[in-house]
Amino acid sequence: MLSVDVSNGLQEELESLALKSRARAIGVALHDLETGLRFSLRGDRWFHAASTIKVAVLLAVFRAADEGRYRLDDSLHLRNRFFSVADGSHFRLSQDRDATPELYKAIGRTAKISALTHAMICGSSNLATNLLLDFVGVEYARAVLRQAEVDGVELRRGVEDHGAHERGINNEATPDGLLSLLSVIRGDFLTPESKREVIRILLAQRFNSMIPAGLPPHATVAHKTGEISTASHDIGIVYLPEREPYIVAILTEFDPDRNGRRETVAAISEAIYRSLLRAEPKSNED
Amino acid sequence: MKTESLRPIDGLHLAEGYRGLLRPDESEAGTNSTVHRLPRFFYEIESWEEAHEIRLAPHFTLAELMLVDCREARLLLSQFPHYVPCAVLLLARFLEDFRREVDAPVFVSANGGYRSPAHQIGGAKSIHAWGTAANIYRVGDTFLSDSRSIQKYRTIAASLGPAVFVRPFGHEKGQTGDHLHVDLGYVRLTPRECSEAS
Repeated sequence: MLSVDVSNGLQEELESLALKSRARAIGVALHDLETGLRFSLRGDRWFHAASTIKVAVLLAVFRAADEGRYRLDDSLHLRNRFFSVADGSHFRLSQDRDATPELYKAIGRTAKISALTHAMICGSSNLATNLLLDFVGVEYARAVLRQAEVDGVELRRGVEDHGAHERGINNEATPDGLLSLLSVIRGDFLTPESKREVIRILLAQRFNSMIPAGLPPHATVAHKTGEISTASHDIGIVYLPEREPYIVAILTEFDPDRNGRRETVAAISEAIYRSLLRAEPKSNED
Repeated sequence: MKTESLRPIDGLHLAEGYRGLLRPDESEAGTNSTVHRLPRFFYEIESWEEAHEIRLAPHFTLAELMLVDCREARLLLSQFPHYVPCAVLLLARFLEDFRREVDAPVFVSANGGYRSPAHQIGGAKSIHAWGTAANIYRVGDTFLSDSRSIQKYRTIAASLGPAVFVRPFGHEKGQTGDHLHVDLGYVRLTPRECSEAS
């Protein structure tokens, strides 16, 4: 009953935020490990995954390491040359659109796989993402998602594959799917060492203007953002010292010129946090 | 130049694990019905420190020409000794000549020098398995990633001798788009002190 009341109130508040921000769509999935509450608002709606897809690549990279295919301290040749999944045509990533210029300076040399995973998540490096996905293979990464029983995350290609985009081949995800992906990371799909490392990487996220911005300062968030011209997402595991964590996926879609998109995600994050506090039983209630 | 410490060994005398990966003196079918024999004689390298110390030419250390990533076979990647075909000396000599012509530092990429026949890129069909090929990704401050730069340095490299092959710019098979591939053919080098009697 408690969760139903919370869900109703939260749904109203989120719908109100959606209207106010003039978002095309807002999708939210939530699992509170303290109360067991599960909440989903348009949880099965498909969105362009943007950079949240990098969490799926991260899972595949660590799964392959767990399977002994390579070691995380192995090195990979850094090369800015990729092939479109649409027609095999060659493409190159733009350094200007990447938050990890240091990686471009190292092209021609090697980088450790562990360093690339950090760059892919913490700095959202497209170069690191495509190198890692190229290395493990799209088919392998998709197979890992199937093994992990993650529905609602369609990993089809690397990033900035414009040829594929023009043909409608995109990475897509639902809020429920991304929630499921984060739950798998928290579960026992990976070895305990890999799980710890994956969460440590997500905790080191450098872009904190969405989910963390709606939380009190003592919260820590293992998360990954994703932004393209029409989408602003953030998905993560929220740790609060006084309670068990909650897992949340907030996906939004906007017109390309719309301002205040990150603020909307932060407001959704804040609304979720407040609603969960309301849901917690007081110490003298049992 | 510190090359006196180079130790040539006959690949046929290596332990089975290494022979299986390096395939010394084995024949490999190439394209157009060609068949080539893989290198038989190798230099044995005890450590990365040693590879960095060995200058094959004034501006090229052995380490630069044997750097590979994790697509190399585990045995050849993670533990020493490493083995590099003796013909890598000729490659270094060519690179030194090229460096002199372009009057700038020349950078060979990872996986761009010697790769074993067990390497996942190209395998035994790649001329990199002979130690006579180099992928140059940068000359001075210029990254070779467009038609203009690759064409410019291709002309210079090709002018250094009739045995030099340089791939043209492009993104099709046999072309390169983000480096300059140069090679000296399927050269095998037998050091003086080594015998080819099996």
